[in-house]
Amino acid sequence: MPEFLTILSSQDWQAIQLTLKLCLYTTLILLLLGTPLAWWLSLSHSKLRTAIQAIVALPLVLPPTVLGFYLLLLLGPHGAIGSTLEQLGLNHLAFSFSGILIGSVIYSLPFTVQPLVESFRRMGPRPLEVAATLGASKLDQLFSVILPLCRGGFIVAATLTFAHTLGEFGVILMLGGSIPGETQVLSVLIYDHTEAMNYAQAHQLSLGLLITAFAVLFIVYGLNRRFEREAIL
Amino acid sequence: MISLLQHAAQHCWQHISQPRQLAAAPECQTLTVQLSLALGEFSLQLNNSLPLNGITALFGRSGCGKTTLLRAIAGLDRHANAQICLNETPWQQGKQFVPVHQRRIGMVFQESSLLPHLSVEQNLLYGFNRLAKQTAVRLQPEQVIRLLELTSLLKLAPQYLSGGQRQRIALGRALLSQPQLLLLDEPLASLDQQSRSEILPFLQRIANTTGIPMLLVSHQLDDVVKLADQLVLMQHGRIHSQGPLQQQLLQPELAAIGAMSLLHAKSQGSHNHLLQLSIGQQQLQLPSPQHSVDANYSATSYRLRIQARDVALSLKPLSDCSVSNQLQVSITGIHPAPHPAELLVQLELDRQPLQALLTKQSADRLGLQIGQQVYAQIKAVALD
Repeated sequence: MPEFLTILSSQDWQAIQLTLKLCLYTTLILLLLGTPLAWWLSLSHSKLRTAIQAIVALPLVLPPTVLGFYLLLLLGPHGAIGSTLEQLGLNHLAFSFSGILIGSVIYSLPFTVQPLVESFRRMGPRPLEVAATLGASKLDQLFSVILPLCRGGFIVAATLTFAHTLGEFGVILMLGGSIPGETQVLSVLIYDHTEAMNYAQAHQLSLGLLITAFAVLFIVYGLNRRFEREAIL
Repeated sequence: MISLLQHAAQHCWQHISQPRQLAAAPECQTLTVQLSLALGEFSLQLNNSLPLNGITALFGRSGCGKTTLLRAIAGLDRHANAQICLNETPWQQGKQFVPVHQRRIGMVFQESSLLPHLSVEQNLLYGFNRLAKQTAVRLQPEQVIRLLELTSLLKLAPQYLSGGQRQRIALGRALLSQPQLLLLDEPLASLDQQSRSEILPFLQRIANTTGIPMLLVSHQLDDVVKLADQLVLMQHGRIHSQGPLQQQLLQPELAAIGAMSLLHAKSQGSHNHLLQLSIGQQQLQLPSPQHSVDANYSATSYRLRIQARDVALSLKPLSDCSVSNQLQVSITGIHPAPHPAELLVQLELDRQPLQALLTKQSADRLGLQIGQQVYAQIKAVALD
């Protein structure tokens, strides 16, 4: 192993693993929840739409601490959701992986929904009408028309969600604290290292994140260009 | 083939027809529509039964509700309290609503609607693969590909095709889904003149060979007269009148757009590059079409489109006149024309209507009266 990797402590490795798990779960959950939501937003003319649009975009403008604070109240032992869970004999969700997963899903929602809405709008209703007149049911249309035609939108949405969750800090710190293996993700660990004056370790992880984030964004913009070119053809 | 078509377009000869004995038995379908909706200024009030046989044109000005009606028939839009039945099968009635993908319709949209991620071949087979399993296959891919001359395009991506080629493929794709009814929503509207000529003859050919009834939405009277057998005239969200095209052309609403007539003539062969045509006992001669689009589809009957402006009347046959096509006709009606100085004279020969546009002055000079026998000089004819 290169020297750079061998000097990472087991705590560092645990944080890397946890971060990747959080990013992966968040992305998968958001693709499942965000697709129908984005579909509805791209089609609906209901008055509710404006309100939902604003709610989806909230995490873009709110300080993560505000989001984390309210989630802590809601999911904690005295919150509406947390106390209900306790009554059911389960644990409340503050300071747990499930808790920060919920936080991440809400925090990264706009990064899934907006590229999808954009690509659904670009496709327009016509290809689906065509497919329907040719005998394709709704489910068939999803796999034979929507997924291939909006492939670019799905890839961009997934990558941006993954990358944005990678950089999450405020919500996790507020809601999850810094429990190794449970809520101590890379961004939180870097903060802890810095607090403890372990600048070398903080630097290694920071540089690693910087390079990863750049690579991910580079890929996204590259794909975007490719899909735009395809769309023009 | 394409260059031939282009050539044909320049000469305005489009005469794809088929010997009658080869044609599939035409299917007569009846579409019953009850529809009532109002959106601001726009309202649509329909309670009609449309017999569909051959090509039925749904004609009217933009915004009269043609496309809305077509989309309701297809099931693309669901309107409350509408009732739509094809023959005995209800497609929409009360709470019952057969979704689009379960109605056996083929639809061609106004603009190119090929699925961009599929090749021409995959587009053609999209509906076939889904519907051919459920219903008896009457049209095989090879047949349709031959009929619409698509062989050379199969492996291409839709992006590399001309507008006319795309619409031809959309038409083939719709046919391969084995429809009971073809719905065409202004399929020629987005095409230039040349592309139109790449698709018009094929519509005719499909009607003649497959027997599948077509409902063609159009606001171009020219296209309608070239193609349609029946005409449904729509005005302000209602069906004004419906019936065979020949009779419908006598409607004052259509005459106002450009009075013309349609005559059906039989071919008696060609002599000295002149096509010999007969209407009942009377003969016409026209320059033979030089560029037959397809030698296999030699025509035995032709449609003659004659502008009312191109018909002159005389009381006696003229011998010292360059117009060689003179037909003996009887006057069945004399009506005011859109221009105050003109009259529209309705004539009849062999039970087919013909219209002539004259000045009032000429009509007075000749003393034209209903029931009178006169001679119609036909100056120009478009042959389809």
